Amino acid sequence: MIKYAFFLGCQTPMRLPNIEIASRKVFEKIGLEAVDLLGYSCCPEPVVSRLIDEMSALAISARNLTLAEELGLDMMTLCNGCYETLAEANEILRHDADKRRKVNEILKHYGKEYRGKSNVKHVIEVLYEDVGLEKIRSQIVKPQKIRVALHYGCHLYREYKSSDIMRKPMMMREIAAQTGVKIVDYGLERLCCGYPSMQANEEFSLKNRLLLKLSKMREAGAEAVVTACPACMIQFEIGQVMLKSYGIQYNMPCINLMELLAISFGIPYKDLHLELHRSPVLQLIQKMGVV
Amino acid sequence: MILESDVLNYLMEELNGDILEAYKQRERRIFVKVKAAAVRRAVQALKKRYQTLRFMTLSAVDLGLDMEYLYHFHIDGIVVTIRSLKPKEDNTLESIADLIPAANFIEREISDLFGVKLINHPQPEHGLILTKDWPDDKRPLKKPFEGALPPKARPVAEALISSGCVAPISAFIQKKREEAGLQKSSALVFTSESSLNEFQGILKEINVGEKFGFDWEKKRLRYK
Repeated sequence: MIKYAFFLGCQTPMRLPNIEIASRKVFEKIGLEAVDLLGYSCCPEPVVSRLIDEMSALAISARNLTLAEELGLDMMTLCNGCYETLAEANEILRHDADKRRKVNEILKHYGKEYRGKSNVKHVIEVLYEDVGLEKIRSQIVKPQKIRVALHYGCHLYREYKSSDIMRKPMMMREIAAQTGVKIVDYGLERLCCGYPSMQANEEFSLKNRLLLKLSKMREAGAEAVVTACPACMIQFEIGQVMLKSYGIQYNMPCINLMELLAISFGIPYKDLHLELHRSPVLQLIQKMGVV
Repeated sequence: MILESDVLNYLMEELNGDILEAYKQRERRIFVKVKAAAVRRAVQALKKRYQTLRFMTLSAVDLGLDMEYLYHFHIDGIVVTIRSLKPKEDNTLESIADLIPAANFIEREISDLFGVKLINHPQPEHGLILTKDWPDDKRPLKKPFEGALPPKARPVAEALISSGCVAPISAFIQKKREEAGLQKSSALVFTSESSLNEFQGILKEINVGEKFGFDWEKKRLRYK
């Protein structure tokens, strides 16, 4: 059985448990054991924590990485931001002996030592590389016929294994395609959804990022957007609610890749708590014929 | 070189645990960082031992959340600076004018320009270089009470430091989690006292409180 230390992060369990629910059900179907990390903390959040101090961010990440090392497992994340923070910290600490020494000097007071033994993978890499497309395809009982736009998310382009920044986005594309959906290209796949810039300028973030993406997706005929990242999902859902205050309404449903898989695997939609969405996902699943 | 070491060793002996940092920055230039409450004792100690001690001046720097005071002294060709930090929530400066009369005017100047209140000063009232009725909220060198984080980043940083998690959970989400057969919360650090102590212990060692302007006692950022 494939086994990973499961790094859930903050946003997924605390604000979007529907993604966690779908993920756990998908893991059960495909035989992936996700071992919870007890006492983990925020990865830490990549935007704010880097504003102040690299060593603080590295020490927090290192503590999380030692939890996986103690289990003797590689780490799997559901969130693009957690992936980038932890994979980057792993790279820095593996290769910069001085920073590793400084971090370990702190950790040793708590009986911990960062050794660089665990790899960090996004769930997309685990699905593609460890589970495989064939196994995923074999679980599809309700192929979907809808047209979707994919939003990969900026941090999914971060690459530590090769120089090909499209490696993980292409994996996501292939995984999504197994469900039968028609993937529409809209030309702004690389553009940020605007989630990080919400912390600096809300109007810019909504109008110059989210709105641009939504309009291009709609023009391309997308009926829904599929994301790989909980933070992007918050931006696509709450952002659409906020756009209404500017007189702009899109009603574009947004679901996570894990939810698309769970629906396609035939998991009853009621078990997935899709009512937690802030975009019209319940209308979407009627269109998908799973209600 | 001998005098520099003598001053450093002497102050470390006299002030013991009240010294936070002491170093020679370059030839004939040394800095001794002390707790704010120990500034007067440091000055007294220097005065007692070094007959040629000369008070040069006092600098004040508004760092946003704290005031930094730097007392510069000259002793036989070397410059010794006693520096201390005072949180701006405590808007006072304890005078050394009774020990060093030459500090009288510069303390009053600082009081006028930054709006700090002088304690035990012979003329503590404002009005040396500004008019006496100058409004307290418009002191020319006083900066806003701000830390390093921009406003929108503050709630995230506060949540991260105080709970190890940047997204608060609502009762509604807890209920939904339970309905789905999940724990009320995932196994985040705040669900275990020992894990939270460990997490915050690490942050304290990296001096996150000072860098982010976090008050560990009140468990919140010092600025909103």
